[in-house]
Amino acid sequence: MRTIWLLCSKDLRGWLRDRAAVLSALAIPIVLVLIFGSAMGAMGGEESIGRVELLVLDRDRTPDSARIVDALRDSQSLEVEEREDAAERVAKGREPAALVIETGFAAGTGKLRLLRDPSKEIEQQIVLASLAPALFEARGQELAKQLTLASLDWFDVPSELHPEAREVIEDTWVRMAAIAMRSGWSRSGADVAETKEAKAGANAAAGFEFARDLPKALGLEVEDVAGDSGRGNKIAAQAHAVAGIAVMMLLFGLSACGGTLLEERDAGTLERILCAPGTLDAILIAKLLFTMISGMLQLIVLFTFGALVFSLPVFDAPLALAATSFCTALAATGFGVLLAVLCRSRKQLEGLSVLLILTMSALGGSWFPLVIAPEWFRRLGHFTLNAWAMDAYQGIFWYGKGLDGILVELGVLSAIGLSTIGLASAIWRRRNREA
Amino acid sequence: MPNSPESPPGTPAAVALHARGLVRSFGDRRAVDGLDLTVRRGECLGLLGPNGAGKSTSLRMFCARLSRHAGELKVLGLDPSRDGEALRARIGLVPQDLALYDDLTARENLRLFGALYRLSGRVLDEAVARALEAAGLLERADDRVGQYSGGMKRRLNVVAGTLHDPELVLLDEPTVGIDPQSRTRIFELVEALRSRGTTLIYTSHALGEVERLCDRIAILDTGRMLACGSLAELQARHRRAPSEPSDGELRLGDPTKTGTAIRLLQQAGIAVNLREPAVGLEEVFLGLTGRKLRDEEVR
Repeated sequence: MRTIWLLCSKDLRGWLRDRAAVLSALAIPIVLVLIFGSAMGAMGGEESIGRVELLVLDRDRTPDSARIVDALRDSQSLEVEEREDAAERVAKGREPAALVIETGFAAGTGKLRLLRDPSKEIEQQIVLASLAPALFEARGQELAKQLTLASLDWFDVPSELHPEAREVIEDTWVRMAAIAMRSGWSRSGADVAETKEAKAGANAAAGFEFARDLPKALGLEVEDVAGDSGRGNKIAAQAHAVAGIAVMMLLFGLSACGGTLLEERDAGTLERILCAPGTLDAILIAKLLFTMISGMLQLIVLFTFGALVFSLPVFDAPLALAATSFCTALAATGFGVLLAVLCRSRKQLEGLSVLLILTMSALGGSWFPLVIAPEWFRRLGHFTLNAWAMDAYQGIFWYGKGLDGILVELGVLSAIGLSTIGLASAIWRRRNREA
Repeated sequence: MPNSPESPPGTPAAVALHARGLVRSFGDRRAVDGLDLTVRRGECLGLLGPNGAGKSTSLRMFCARLSRHAGELKVLGLDPSRDGEALRARIGLVPQDLALYDDLTARENLRLFGALYRLSGRVLDEAVARALEAAGLLERADDRVGQYSGGMKRRLNVVAGTLHDPELVLLDEPTVGIDPQSRTRIFELVEALRSRGTTLIYTSHALGEVERLCDRIAILDTGRMLACGSLAELQARHRRAPSEPSDGELRLGDPTKTGTAIRLLQQAGIAVNLREPAVGLEEVFLGLTGRKLRDEEVR
């Protein structure tokens, strides 16, 4: 037993003296739990999900349509903005949804259209759940009548009984809708259906999803305007997964490449190289180039794999993809080399890079879409290069953007890359240019 | 000004390295503290000292990798602070670490280091071939260095630092931890450099190596020069002090009276066999630097 404890305590001592190992084992899980907890709303409170942006285009300009817009503005879950270019912005992925109130809506001749970006699934559910009470508040009576009529189909009432059934349930439904409205419309219609079960049959509630069926009942036409609607939002999830993993692994790979500077120092080859003429800048530039080439190669392999396995539209915008990959690799290279010149040892680099990369990846949306996170989280995420790279890749893969549509993202990534490379270079020169 | 038993410098053309009052500190600690040293062109100077004596710091200043904080330094007629780039091209460094790329072959390593010193084309090819032959590595030239024995790596380490035919070569403990055969080959490499007129500064803890290879020996401690001269000069300066005589031995308190003492003894019919006390380099070294352990971290 004593021998076992001696050997065990030796390992414990070694582990506790290895700061990188302790950091990896203790600090990283805490940081990740904090990030995931915050993103998923575990922190609780009103900001756990955040307000969803809903664009509104009111072409009807009637008191009825104005009431709808006002009711939407009062919603706790929506951030409403009236814009003429609402449809275009949703198509480009700027906002998740837009409500278009067509001319003649109040007169019964115009439509109510909800334009959606299906890649932002969670936001769509929030929009629908928030839209229902707003519409009821604005046009409650009219909508209740429409719902009553629609409910006959939902409860599988035989057509010959429709006139009688209408008569029986009309008043009841109107009252029920009012009750349900007061308690919040996020509840499933199955709850409501239970109260009607005795009259409408046991199967009436099966599969009834209030949020899903509501648009039809309210005469709301839902249209997916972003992405490849023919393939559903699967491609958005796949594009996110491939791009997210690609960017995270790129950071790991390139910080390891930057770490070869420390390997060279430990092996003594760095000193030998620095003793040769004109090598002070050359070796850093060579490391940057090596790191960039490795990064580009890594991205090419991952995206080709994504194209082959998930049919990712990698070759639809080759120029935009190449530019994004270049700028992402540039930013990741700067990050990797900056870490390498800041760290004093390989172990220090490993501990720090794991902590930073996992944190940046979680914050920047490499692991889960930032749309599920609160607004403050999304803003924070955009301090990482991951978020900008993810925006650019999603823009290409899902929204079909070309080079001109991702210039901001490319600019930010380039700025991150150039500034970190500049800083790394300055530190490198200060530390190594002695004589 | 620290004590300096250093010989006066010769003409500038005959001097490869001249340091006067050289100082370099790391924080509060003076690693080199007023070093005076002159190395003549074509000579091999052994640089000895315990750990933390300032040998490595001095070498790094000599090859323009570290700036000095005070004093004068001219290497091959150039000031390392001003002419570092030009100087580095004319100096070869054989570092104590095996500064080689294990993933590359010996030939690839040599081609890389040769190219860094601006060798190219046929000149580079010939230099690499010569170096491989000199190191006895021709047959394994295309094997990865990671597969080499310690001795093979050491030999390659030496030729990698001298491939560009430098005027001054700094060898920092080039024979650490190797077999006698490889050590002998490295001695041959060093002697070949000497015979070509290359100036050498050789640091080692193996005092026998220094005795064998070096024309002069400089002993440093705590960043200062304690003694410098040929082995014979150092021995003469540090002869054993007189002690209690043993049977059959007669020790003279005044060595200048040796002749008189012999004559008197012979006149008295006593046979005299004169022998000077033997003083090795190790005794000189320990006599100057003391026997206290030096475990200080060396920079």
